[in-house]
Formats: sequence, structure tokens, C-alpha cells
Amino acid sequence: MKHVKPLNAKAALLEKAAGEGRAEEVRVMQTVVAGCATTTDPGWEVDAFGGTAALCSPMEADLYGCSDPCWWPAQVPDNMATYTNWTDGSDSAPRDWRNLQAVFPGKK
Amino acid sequence: MKRTVSVTASWMVGAALLAGASASASAAGAAETSGVKMIEENCGSCHTPDSSGKFPRISDIRKSPEGWDMSVSRMQRWHGVTVSAEARAAIVKYLSDTQGLAPSESEPFRYALEQQPGAMENLPDPEMVQMCGRCHSTARPGLQRRDAAEWKRLINTHVGQWPTLEFQLLSRDRDWWTIATTTTTDTLAKMWGFKSKAWDSWKGHKTPDLKGTWAVAGHQPGKGDYSGTMTVSGGAGDRFDVRYDLSYADGSVLKADGASVVYTGYEWRGTVTLNGVENREVMTLSADGKTLSGRWFGSVNDELGADVTAVKTDGKPTLIAAQPMALKAGERAMVSLVGDSLKGAVSFGPGVTVIDSESKPWGLSVVVEVAARAAEGPREVSVGGASLSKGAVVYDAVDRVTVEPPMMIARVGDGGGPLPRHYAQFEAIGYLNGKDGKPGTADDIRLGALPASWSHDNFDEAAKELEDAKFAGSIDSKTGLFTPGEAGPNPLRAYKTNNVGNLKVVAQVDNGQGKPLSAESHLIVTVQRWVDGWIR
Repeated sequence: MKHVKPLNAKAALLEKAAGEGRAEEVRVMQTVVAGCATTTDPGWEVDAFGGTAALCSPMEADLYGCSDPCWWPAQVPDNMATYTNWTDGSDSAPRDWRNLQAVFPGKK
Repeated sequence: MKRTVSVTASWMVGAALLAGASASASAAGAAETSGVKMIEENCGSCHTPDSSGKFPRISDIRKSPEGWDMSVSRMQRWHGVTVSAEARAAIVKYLSDTQGLAPSESEPFRYALEQQPGAMENLPDPEMVQMCGRCHSTARPGLQRRDAAEWKRLINTHVGQWPTLEFQLLSRDRDWWTIATTTTTDTLAKMWGFKSKAWDSWKGHKTPDLKGTWAVAGHQPGKGDYSGTMTVSGGAGDRFDVRYDLSYADGSVLKADGASVVYTGYEWRGTVTLNGVENREVMTLSADGKTLSGRWFGSVNDELGADVTAVKTDGKPTLIAAQPMALKAGERAMVSLVGDSLKGAVSFGPGVTVIDSESKPWGLSVVVEVAARAAEGPREVSVGGASLSKGAVVYDAVDRVTVEPPMMIARVGDGGGPLPRHYAQFEAIGYLNGKDGKPGTADDIRLGALPASWSHDNFDEAAKELEDAKFAGSIDSKTGLFTPGEAGPNPLRAYKTNNVGNLKVVAQVDNGQGKPLSAESHLIVTVQRWVDGWIR
């Protein structure tokens, strides 16, 4: 890495991790960019077994893992492009879920 | 920079304003001019008309009124377009009238427009279900018409707006992009192409004169049959005022008034306040303007509602319902015969004697006596020149019972959060086995909803282990209404999980001769959805 100079804080952290022999950890984490892995994708309404036991428990614990990467865009507002402000001021879904509003006009 | 998005113009707020906007536009031509002008003013900076006057993208698509409204809403959300509620309503009206769907084109997907609870899709093309239906209903594309190039643009829009779409579990089992832009596009254009004979023959169909009194009959799951009258007035700009005087079979009264707009010459959309609760109406008008049919449902809780049929009382004898439909042998019953101009002899066929008759604003109220040995089976009901094939059924004992819907979803809600619970209403439906004596065959005869005793339990071992039946909600033992639990993590549950659950709902029914019958439905109690448009 001696010929490469970090340009931002994230790159500096990567260089530090490499120096500590933890480059593989960084690489592994980089694969988790688009929501759940194939083996753990739990479904939104119904789990892979047609029930509810294998859904996220509780859903709020991982809700932003759905909204950030646009994972269930038909059910959960995506923070990526459509509803970028949806979670503003609600940093923790398990704590702040009561602030999260429906995004289509209230009455139907 | 935060973008402020104004999407507060709800469906009928827009429609109500449309009525005001259209009050002076008595001629259809004026409304059309207004619609084009509204599109030019609100959409024209991006959708600039070409030399032939076509608006790029807009002019090459046909949709339902709900579809057009969702399109305008999307432009507001995605591109920050500012559209007044009045303009939004005028644009949706104009586009629905000039680039809508023929009745036969929207007919296969009424369940989506009517928000039918527990509806199951049954699209014959499995690839279409996998490519579109894994995220949203196939009714969404099914209620649109485009040529292949336009369908391809829609797929591009999907990937542009939801860039991780291709990598999701529900897409990454295949080369989604290649399939989407080749076979899926071709299939969509073939199934739901822009041009159609049905639309060519329907477009330009004007809304008939609906003013007057209508006889109304319907059924509300959990409550029962109802009947009465609907009085329609107005009509300028296809906007009507409506007043209902209805009563349920148990004698309770249902008063309502509201307003509606008719799109595309047949798509009735109304907002009515029923005993103080705001409801939406989604109905279709027959081509001759004589009959309206569809569903009304809660503006907030659309899972709660009723089917409805109405016939205009213009002097043409018509019978639309006999309530109750099922008549037990050896018993006397009061039957409401609902329709227009019901005069003359009343007949239910052999073994059923009419012993009293009283004229009502909605038809006739009759008392019938069913002979103990009257033959079981469907009966044609007739009043003078009006008749209803299989309008009634004589039975001695109920052979079997089912629960409707056979599978249902309820959602947790409330608990201090902004999203309401979504309930599940069940009904026990009785059947005769028919001539072959075998249950579940084509000749079985439906008897309608029966009184039942309701309970719920864990669906399987996994549900039992998590105590779903204890936490996910409760069912009213008499009405069959399931109320799900509160939203949010529940610290009393394993993993602090939500009050979700995998349940079975059980109905116990008396067969009419003291023998118990039972049936089950599958209920998934699940989490909220924050994205919930007119068409899911």
C-alpha cells in the first residue's frame, strides 16, 4: 500500500485495517451492500416456508436494511431514490417506528 | 437538499374539486379542452407535444382511472411536479375518458380495483407472475395497455428508479434484465397491447343519464344482506350526488350520502359517508346505464366493505336479488325481492307458497311458506315479467361448509404508530352437494353465509412454539371479525418479535338438523406496508 495514499476517511480506515491484517473482513463486509443474503432473505409478508416464524424478528430491527437498499419497494419506502427523507429524524427503527409515515396519500 | 413533495390530493378530494371545476363546463368538448390544457400546463415542459399534438409517453399508454392517478402522483414524487388537486382531477378524468380501458379489458382485474380482501391472482403465464408478480400484483400491468416499445420503457423506468431490483432475491435467480427486455416485453405487448378492438368500439362512450332512484341490494360479510334505494342527482361533468336509504336484514338502518364521478363512461368512483364512516365506491356501469355493480369499502380499512348491485328504476321490470337466497324446507321466511317495477304474480317454483306481499321503494317484501317436502335445489324467482335464474335455493340440511376467504392476510397496526390495523373478516358459506351427492364438484349449490361460531388457533408447530395464537390477535366468536395485535416489537415475545402469526380460523356451523359442521381458513397476520397505492 506504500504507493497508494488514502484520499478520504473511509480509505484511511481501509489502510489501517490492512495494516492490522483485517483486509479480508473489509472485503467480506463489502459484499453486504444489497440487503439480505440469499440464505437469509426472509420475505416481507410471508417467509420462505409460507408462514411468519422466519420473518425478521422483530421487523423493526432490520427495517432500514430493507429501506436503504430499496429491498421491498412495493411495501417499504426506499431511501435510495424515491423517498430519500423517509427515515429522517428516526435513527433507530425499533425505537422510532411510531414516526414512520405511510407514503401514499393517507386516505384511499 | 430536501425535496418537498405534495401528494396530499386524495382520490375523491380531487374528484370533488373536479365537480366544481366542471360546473361551468356543461359540454363534453369544453371538458376535453380543459383536460388538454391542464396537461399542457402541468406536464408539457417535459412531455412537450409533437407536431401531431401527441404528448410523448403519455399519449402511448391507456390505463384505469386509478392507474392515471398513480402516474400523476409519481410525477409529483419523482420529479417534484406541482399540480393542484383540481388539475390532477381534471387530468385523470380526461386521460381516463380518452385513453382508458374498455369494460372487457378491466373486467379480469376488478378484484384489484375493488380491493377485494383475500383475492388470489390466477394469471396463466407463470413467467409473467415471476417477473412482475413477485413484487406487486399482476393487475398493475394488467390494467395498462402499451405497445412493446412502451412496455420496454416501463422496464427501464423500474431499473432506473429501483436500481437494486435486479439483485434482489426475487430477481437474481435468472438473467432478469435480458428476460425483462425480450420475452417479458413481447408477452406484455401481446397480452396487453395499446391498440384493441374492445377499446376501438368503446372509446367515446358517453356516461348515460343516471339521475333518478335506484333499487340497491348487497351483502356485507360479517353483517349480512342489505337492501334499499339510492337517489342520484347532478350529472354535470359526469359528477353525481348520491343519497342512500338502506337497511340490513336484521332491521338496522344504513344512511349514507356522498358524491361520485364516472370515468370512461362506466367506471363509477364515489366517496360516501356510511353511518359516519367514510367509504369509497368502485363500481361499473352496464353499457345501457341500467345496472351498477361493484364494492364499497372503508377509506382507511379497505378490507371491510360490501358487494353492491343497483338497478335504475326506469320502468323496465328487473329483479336483481332475493334476500335471503336460501329457504329452508318446512319453514316460513320473509324475503326481500329487490329490483325495478316488480308487479304481478310472484313465483319461487313448486312447494313454495307466497302468503303475503308488500310493495317497497326497492321492490317487494314477501312472506313465503316452504313445504316440508319441497324439492331441494336452485329455483328461478319471478315477479310478473321479471325473473332471476337461480335466484333462490330450497334446502333441507346443509351438506358442507367452507370459510371465505380460504386464505387471508391481516396486518398489525396502531399501538401508537400512524398505520392502522388491517382486520380480517370471515364468513361461513353453506353448500348442498348437488345431484351427484359428492362435495366439491361442479353441481354443488351455494346457500350463502350461515351463522357460525368462530375460533382461531396456531396453524402449525412453528406457530405453536412462538405462541402465535396468543399474541397475533383475536376473533369475534359471533361475527368472524379477526382483530390483529398492535404494531411494534413485543418485549413479551421470543426475539421481541412483532405480533405476527400463522393461524387457522375455524367456523362451527349447525347443518340445520342439529349436526355440527366445521371448516377452516388460513390467516397470516403480518407486518405493515408503508407503500399502499390504489392498485397494489
